[in-house]
Amino acid sequence: MDRFHALVIGGGGTGAAVAHDLTLRGLQVTLVERGELTSGTTGRHHGLLHSGARYAVKDQESAIECIEENLILRRIAPGTFEENDGLFVAIDDEDVAYSHEFVEGCQECGIPVRRLSREQTLRLEPNLNPALQMAVQVPDATMDAMRMPLRFFATAKHNGAVIKPFTEVVDFIKYGSAVSGVRVHDLTNDKVYEIKADIVINAGGPWSGKISHMVDVDVPIRPSPGVMLAVRGRLCNMVVNRLHRSGDGDIIVPQRGLSVVGTSSWVVDDPDDLGVPEEHVQLMLEKGSELIPQVKTAPFRGVWSAARPLIGPRGADTGRELSRTFKCFDHADEGVEGFVTITGGKATTLRGMAEAAANVVCQKLGVNAPCRTREVVLLPHAAYYG
Amino acid sequence: MAEVERTFRVFRYKQGQAAPSYQTFKVKAGPRTTVLEALQEIRRTQDRTLILRHSCHHASCGTCGMRVNGQEVLSCVTNVQELGAETVLVEPINNIPLVADLVVDMGGFYERYVDAHMPYIRQSEFEPDADLPEGIAQYTRYENCLECGLCVSACPVMGSTSDYLGPAALAAAWRVVAEPRGQDAGRAAEAALEWVDNENGCWRCHVAYECTEVCPSDVDPGGSIMALRRKLTGRKFRRLLRLER
Amino acid sequence: MQNASATRNDVRPRRPLRAWFDVRRRHMGSWAFAINRLTGLGLAAYLFLHLAVLSTLLQGEAGWDRFLQLARSPFFLLLDVVLIFGILFHGLNGIRVALVGMGVGARQHRALFWVLMAIGFVLLAYSAWKVFTI
Repeated sequence: MDRFHALVIGGGGTGAAVAHDLTLRGLQVTLVERGELTSGTTGRHHGLLHSGARYAVKDQESAIECIEENLILRRIAPGTFEENDGLFVAIDDEDVAYSHEFVEGCQECGIPVRRLSREQTLRLEPNLNPALQMAVQVPDATMDAMRMPLRFFATAKHNGAVIKPFTEVVDFIKYGSAVSGVRVHDLTNDKVYEIKADIVINAGGPWSGKISHMVDVDVPIRPSPGVMLAVRGRLCNMVVNRLHRSGDGDIIVPQRGLSVVGTSSWVVDDPDDLGVPEEHVQLMLEKGSELIPQVKTAPFRGVWSAARPLIGPRGADTGRELSRTFKCFDHADEGVEGFVTITGGKATTLRGMAEAAANVVCQKLGVNAPCRTREVVLLPHAAYYG
Repeated sequence: MAEVERTFRVFRYKQGQAAPSYQTFKVKAGPRTTVLEALQEIRRTQDRTLILRHSCHHASCGTCGMRVNGQEVLSCVTNVQELGAETVLVEPINNIPLVADLVVDMGGFYERYVDAHMPYIRQSEFEPDADLPEGIAQYTRYENCLECGLCVSACPVMGSTSDYLGPAALAAAWRVVAEPRGQDAGRAAEAALEWVDNENGCWRCHVAYECTEVCPSDVDPGGSIMALRRKLTGRKFRRLLRLER
Repeated sequence: MQNASATRNDVRPRRPLRAWFDVRRRHMGSWAFAINRLTGLGLAAYLFLHLAVLSTLLQGEAGWDRFLQLARSPFFLLLDVVLIFGILFHGLNGIRVALVGMGVGARQHRALFWVLMAIGFVLLAYSAWKVFTI
């Protein structure tokens, strides 16, 4: 292929969904990723398919996006989620007081909720802290952070998209003020070559700032890492959240035979250099064990950090105050044609992000094709390799 | 434990080169530094052309399997200091075609693996006595298998033939037999048994159990292969005695 | 994978002998597998050797007596012990493989191996004593 309609930079969830969406709209699409697919932020998140309840009080825009996309993903990716729902658990009186505001917020956002007594809750999840007072059931679920987006890649690939992992963008090709492609370094054979495209879409997540700087455009992205900790043993079947305004270490996501405790939040400049602060590890153990006491005694499996791509001005300090919503930037506004950035958001809203980005792309290219990603059922993840 | 310096000897190969080579890097490792993090640090500060597969960083996705000092491991949960060696030798897994550096091509692996037709969602065995939440028919969870290929790399039989179905695919077949799921569950189990009942199926195993030793996710492929044999042996005996058709 | 067409097997060919016999960093099962292969090959070779020796009977009494003379040398007796080791290991490990495959001791295959090896060791010690004292 000499020239693609669209070239996507970034092989995470966003890039996967954008490639899938544009391919379904009939475009010739290619995607480049410097490492393995989902090796940036996507594969490393805690694996929560959000119901939106977590944002229902403070960030209703994100909450509504989450519940809508949650229902769509269950439909288009059957067999991809541990569909065991989630609990928001109230432990102290402050949590119980917050529960009214919380339930109201969920109802306003269209998130189905059910209040549970202490006894009902402990019958569902006997490992929970027995000091709990009540809980709220919401339609959270667990996803495989790598395999869910892989289904988008698989479907895009089978519909004709050219997916190139281990291919790093080293430079942009410009024609006047317009981007007309990129120069890439194929790290499997050490060759540098050019790929031409009518439009280039930056789906680099927390790296999107670094990418846009190559064409001297600023994207207000704040890489905001969080620490997560995995212990051996499945301590719960449902996703367990603390019923309070989101804070550190207030969520436990069961995953296969592991339980993942998350997360903390701070802000960094370089998404490649995160580190795992030891005090955050201890905080996860401490806070996690307030929800399920066994977190402290279960055998340790791993600890890691991943950077969220939050949109916000410089000067934010923990990232907690920033919205989890997403945004599409058409850089023609800053004088660079043919270059679009889609960033922010969460794994749960990847399809919605892609729809927004694809709408912008199609409008710019003069393509009149409706979005079909709400209906098309995705191929299984293994189809990516076949 | 403080920070220590380790020497990493890393397998390097790019397509078009005549032969692979080994490259040496010095890396500082803290008490929690994993082999994966050390390799990422090499990428960040010393050689950004080093490629490897990784995704979840906590032994849940199965992409970062490699051989560290000759042993198949997930590099994301392999602590550098706990290896107790000054030099850390890092190589791609065996018996799966090489793409470049530490990256292997899982295409052939999946080709066989999906033939077992194992659904990826199984019934959860945790807290089976717990009540179920309203609207949930049963607690479910993902299968244990991470599709990492470590068992295939460690298997001595896979080392001499590519015809053998291999431990991952056979373990998947056993899961279909052990927990029939979905519509046509009975027929799926039957098909799985038929698929493995030949000289390249469960009978090809030589019981070295190396697959089970290296499995990072409690799949026990060796035990699964033996379970398939027992099932098939029992059935053959009953057929011999005309107790079953 | 995208680069699948370019994947190469020839830069890293399968090396069966290494896969079978390189037991560094391997576990009990691989040792059992490797020794089983070696003893299997040894026993096959012995079978032919045995037939060759028996064929000396065709050369008459003198030839056979010469062989018996040789067979009583300490070195030859030691070879007998090695042979018995091969038979015992291969046979007992074969019993483990057969039992485990029928579902007996599949979970305790390691314990089963060591019990059988203990039996094997006793039998080997007894045989060695007999070989050198008869």
